[in-house]
Amino acid sequence: MAEIVLAYCSSHAPMMSSARQAAPEEQRNNFFGALDRVREQAVERGVQACVVLSNEHYTNFFLENFPQICIGLGEKNWGPTEEWLPIDKVWIPGHAGLANHIATYTLNHGFDPAFSHQLELDHGIMTVYYELDQTMKLPLVPIVQNCAVPPLVPVRRAYEFGKALGEAIRAYTGLERVALVGAGGLSHWIGNPRVGDIDEEFDRWFLQRLERGELDQVLDMPDSEIELAGNGNHEMRTWLAVAGAMAPVRATTLAYEPVYPWITGMGVAEWETGDGGAETSATVEQQETRREESLT
Amino acid sequence: MSWYQMHRCVYDWVRAGEVNSGDGGDGRAGFDVGAYELTDEERKAFENRDIAAFYQLGLHEVLINRYARAAGYARDDYRKILEPLGSTEERKGRWQK
Repeated sequence: MAEIVLAYCSSHAPMMSSARQAAPEEQRNNFFGALDRVREQAVERGVQACVVLSNEHYTNFFLENFPQICIGLGEKNWGPTEEWLPIDKVWIPGHAGLANHIATYTLNHGFDPAFSHQLELDHGIMTVYYELDQTMKLPLVPIVQNCAVPPLVPVRRAYEFGKALGEAIRAYTGLERVALVGAGGLSHWIGNPRVGDIDEEFDRWFLQRLERGELDQVLDMPDSEIELAGNGNHEMRTWLAVAGAMAPVRATTLAYEPVYPWITGMGVAEWETGDGGAETSATVEQQETRREESLT
Repeated sequence: MSWYQMHRCVYDWVRAGEVNSGDGGDGRAGFDVGAYELTDEERKAFENRDIAAFYQLGLHEVLINRYARAAGYARDDYRKILEPLGSTEERKGRWQK
C-alpha cells in the first residue's frame, strides 16, 4: 500500500516565479527556505509520485462546463500555460495508475469528480511543483478544484473530499511513497479594486486553526465571509483538502510572509507523516530511478 | 448585456496568446471580435482595452486579472484604474477583532 510520506501546502502566486526578486530578501529566503526543506524531504523519503491539488483559473474549463473537482488521469500534462511564466514549458509525466485509482475510489465513496486525460497546468500547480522537482520529471497527478466561479463546493465538502483522497492514496498498491501537496491561497485579491491587499490577520488566524486542529471554525464559513479575505481566499479549499487527508494530524507552519510585491499572503505548512521506510539521504540518481520505476 | 458572449470573447482572446505559446508567434494577431454577439458597450470595452468598463460590466474578476496581464497592464496600474470603483467593506470576518 502507498503511504503519504510528505504532505504540505504552499501559496502559488505566479510572481514567486516571474518576479522572484521583487520580494524583500528576508521574506523571499523564509518562503523559499520552507520549500527547499520540503524538497529535501521529498528526496530523502524517496517520493515516487505527487498528487497536487490546486484550482482552476479558466485554464482548462470555461462557462460551458465547469467541474467542481477534476482529476488528471493522463499519462502526461502540459505546462505551464502562461507565456510569461519563466518555467520551461514541458510535458509533465502523469501517473495514470494512481490517478485512475483516486478517481474510482472517490466515485465509490460519495464524490463525483470529473476527469481529464490531458490538462494544461498553469501557475496554480506549476509554481509549486517546480519548487518540488526542478527537473519536472516527478510523476504528477493534478487535481483542479473550482475556487472561483459560483456556485462553489462548500469548504466542508472540500475537506471531506480530502479525507477520501487520503484514503484513496493509502489504499493504492502500485506505489509506496507519495507526496500530497496543496497549492493556493492565502489571502489575496485579484481583478478588482482591492488587488494588492493582503489580510495578514486572516492568514495568521487560518494557519493557527490548522495548527490547533480547530477546523470547525473554518469549515462552516460561507463564501461571503471567506471572500472578506479576498476573492483568492477561496483557494483555501486546497489547504482544507490536504488537512482532511491528513486528519487527525495537525499542520506545522514552516513559513508565513505577507509579500506585497506578490500581492499574496504566502504560506507554507506541513503535516507530519511517516517516511515510508525509505532510507534517508537518497541520492539524486536513486530518486531518478524510483521515478522511472513508478512510471512503468 | 450579453454576459456569456463577453466572457467568451475575452477568454478566447486571452487563450489565443497562450495555446501553444511555447511555439512563439502571436496567437492573438487577427483576433476577430466580430465573431461575438457583443453590445456596443462590450465591444468598446474590448477595443479600448478598458479594464474599468469590463469591471463595471461584470466580467469575472479572475478573467479581468488574466486579461489585464495579457493586455500588458502592470498590477499597480490596473489597481489605480479599479480603485475608484471600490466600496468600503462594512462586514467583518470571524477572525477580525
